[in-house]
Amino acid sequence: MSRSWCIKSALSRRKVLQHGMAGVGLIMLAPFAWASEAWQQLDAAQHLLNGETPIAQGLALDLPHVSEDGSAVPLGIKFDGELADNDYLTDIHLLATGNPQPEIATFRLGELSRYPEISTRVRLNETQHVVAIAKTHQGQTFAVSQEVRITVSGCLMRGEDSQPEPLSNPRVSVNQQVAAGDALEVRTLINHPMETGLREGSDGEPLPRHIIEQFTVRLGDEIAFEAQLHQSISANPYLRFHLTPQQSGELVFEWQDDQGEQAQHTSELSVS
Amino acid sequence: MSHIALTLWAGVVIGLLFGAVGQASGFCLLRGVANSAKGDSRKLRAFMLAMATALLGTQWLAAMGYFSLSNSLYITPSFSWLALPLGGLLFGYGMALANGCGARSLVLLGSGNLRSVVVVMFLGIGAYIALSGVLAPGRIYLEQATSIPLTTQDIAGLVALPGWAVASLLGLPIAAWAFSSADFRASPRDWVSGLIVGSLIPAGWYATGVLGFDDFEPVRLASLTFVAPIGASLQYVMLSTGTRLSFGVAVVGGIILGALITALIRRDFHWQGFQGPGQMARSMVGALMMGIGGVLALGCSIGQGITGMSTLALPSLIALLCILLGAYLGVKGPLALSHMASNHRSLH
Repeated sequence: MSRSWCIKSALSRRKVLQHGMAGVGLIMLAPFAWASEAWQQLDAAQHLLNGETPIAQGLALDLPHVSEDGSAVPLGIKFDGELADNDYLTDIHLLATGNPQPEIATFRLGELSRYPEISTRVRLNETQHVVAIAKTHQGQTFAVSQEVRITVSGCLMRGEDSQPEPLSNPRVSVNQQVAAGDALEVRTLINHPMETGLREGSDGEPLPRHIIEQFTVRLGDEIAFEAQLHQSISANPYLRFHLTPQQSGELVFEWQDDQGEQAQHTSELSVS
Repeated sequence: MSHIALTLWAGVVIGLLFGAVGQASGFCLLRGVANSAKGDSRKLRAFMLAMATALLGTQWLAAMGYFSLSNSLYITPSFSWLALPLGGLLFGYGMALANGCGARSLVLLGSGNLRSVVVVMFLGIGAYIALSGVLAPGRIYLEQATSIPLTTQDIAGLVALPGWAVASLLGLPIAAWAFSSADFRASPRDWVSGLIVGSLIPAGWYATGVLGFDDFEPVRLASLTFVAPIGASLQYVMLSTGTRLSFGVAVVGGIILGALITALIRRDFHWQGFQGPGQMARSMVGALMMGIGGVLALGCSIGQGITGMSTLALPSLIALLCILLGAYLGVKGPLALSHMASNHRSLH
């Protein structure tokens, strides 16, 4: 309930800002404001942007301003900016400015995921900015960032809780009936410790890194949605996204971890 | 209604009931310990009856498969032999200093007692100091340095019996002991409050574990506890646009409202304040001790004493005994505090 509210309020605030800027002549100051954007101070983001100045409107992050549990911060990313007629988003990158490794996840969007609204849960080990960068087929870039205050660090969480069996119990929730062209909400969850490789076990030895790296959704032979995950994704990775299928078929979900193990789940989809 | 909204509304209703019952009956573990030291055990029996009711209801729901208590915060693979008892003692003694636990202070707050505003605020601040603030690294160091693994996590595992059987073997005799006093039987205010407060614990497990169940966005299994949720409530009041409401905060809000409504209906609403700086300092120190101790002990007199005990977790038993010992030390013996007659409702 608060999730959609957050996206809306972020958008309306942006509109207010736009109108205000024109009136007061703040356009002069805009370059200075931009110089402090989080993505300009993050090497990984600069590398992705490759010298281009991203458009700061269109992409919206939905994150709590304050989170009491840095080990699982709910994150939503949505695009509702303007694009040229034949243009579409090809990938969205999520980065964290204050984590040991900045990369959180990369989502590759295909022909069948033209409604970019994605949710997941991420680890943040201190108060920091989360940055999202999106690229389009025709080479436009969009960026947005938001600060999250973390009151209990993802690193303060004790690691002795019982660990889930890796790649067990994949769960998928998807409507089996959808009208062609409509956005179909898909929710997925799978058990996996997503061990970062940065923690110590109770014996003081570092626990080896063990994470799901790749998540792929196929409809028939076509890749509909793809996600590359890093260790900043919370244990038991949760992904919610939207597909815009044009015809019926079999949806195949596949999770693959860094030890080469994989899990699969299939759902029948009927498009009318 | 989403499963999260449903859980929150259930929390409000549970809080309203707790606030109403607490206001009308004066349900309070400290009062039980203090009165027992003077020969009146009715309040203590009400607390024990609540514990027995919670134990039976919780284990029965768990046996029916509604939720798995191993997902709760009380069933842990290890516990700190130092932090947990120390926290219990701190909480118990702080409760005697501040003249009431967190839940009692919320009820009194709704009845117009401004002293409990100070207690609630300092308890919440103390909890967050230890949970995520300046004392958090020290707490985590202490907990890790003194952690011992638990091969069996609950009493049921220890005696190799199913939870519902242990609950019956423990809960029924405790309830029978509570009712063995003629004074207690003749005081419906006390035994009704014990039964209702006790049944709110399984209701809380049901709200978070069944109403809040969702494969993809589960609500953390929890029931009534009043240390971290009071801190979270203070934080929510200040930062509500940036955070999300939780079950514990909904319960806290419900209790204040329920106590207020009941106090107004019973014409028992009276503005009350501190009589002097000494009393105020005592409440502030006691509330800080409750906040910090409650985080070390993973719960308060209700959170560990009733909710934790309802899971049959071994650490909850240790924490409850230490809370009782701390409260007793504050009431009787060399460390005993002078009784603050004015801090209790003076017309009693």
